[in-house]
Amino acid sequence: MNDRSVWGDYILYLLGAGAILILARDINVIARLPNEAQQGAIFKIIFFHVPVAITAMMAAAVALVASVLFLVTRDFRYDALAVAVTEVGLAFLAANLITGSIWGRIIWGQWWAWDARLTSALVCWILYAAYLMLRRAVEEPTQRATFAAVWSIFSFIDVPIVIFSIKWWRTQHPQPVFWGGGSFPPDWLAVFLWNMLAMVLLAAVMTVVRLRQEDAQRELDSLRRTAHAM
Amino acid sequence: MHLSSIPLVFAQMTSADDIVREAARLQRNYEFLSYGLTIAWVILVIYVLLMVSRERKLKREIASLKAMIEDRRKS
Repeated sequence: MNDRSVWGDYILYLLGAGAILILARDINVIARLPNEAQQGAIFKIIFFHVPVAITAMMAAAVALVASVLFLVTRDFRYDALAVAVTEVGLAFLAANLITGSIWGRIIWGQWWAWDARLTSALVCWILYAAYLMLRRAVEEPTQRATFAAVWSIFSFIDVPIVIFSIKWWRTQHPQPVFWGGGSFPPDWLAVFLWNMLAMVLLAAVMTVVRLRQEDAQRELDSLRRTAHAM
Repeated sequence: MHLSSIPLVFAQMTSADDIVREAARLQRNYEFLSYGLTIAWVILVIYVLLMVSRERKLKREIASLKAMIEDRRKS
């Protein structure tokens, strides 16, 4: 392992540790914030529910750009980026769906509602899970990357539907706090933004780690071919 | 958004039943909040553990293949 790689590892682990520290600190701060007047303590789940959703949507956008770039350049590094960021985004979207369901159980009295926001978010999760399944089903690397890129671009169609569904249709899911007429107290906003930063940082670190695994997988494939040819 | 502290909520209660009901509601709220946060963390931790196990498997496979290729070259 060369010096650059060792330093890269240090920086990566440092950023990951920084993100976890910020999140741990925020849990302490959030616990001490007063309860929201109408919803009570459960409202504080917004500090995780929304940042994980935004992070997942950002991951989907990066996957879209990487997929388009792969189709244009045929450079496998973009394909690796697309799969890495999609997998991480899927984990964040799962956290979003489950925290939302728990929130809904208290506020709506039910775990799930088939409204436009919730359904489109679930469809989004299924589409990106299918992307990962598709990759496992195709053996040939170029064909696999091409099919996956096309599927990723197609899947992204659902992302604006998830984001704007609460504006386009009347949904059980409430209007957003930040661009739906609501307001956030300044001290809450600061905690929210720190949490947002930590989540994005955590997702970025996870993506880089996953990207390295894709490099290792390519090396493994090449070694297998060499061994097979001998 | 209006924020209120717990003592203020209790101050507006009219009967003992109301206070008991409100305390139960608050308890349930905290319970579900802790479930939510725990599950969000558990999902991310499980994903990290999966990545770590995959990385170990990849490293092991690469090392064994390299050793095998080296052996074949020598023989």
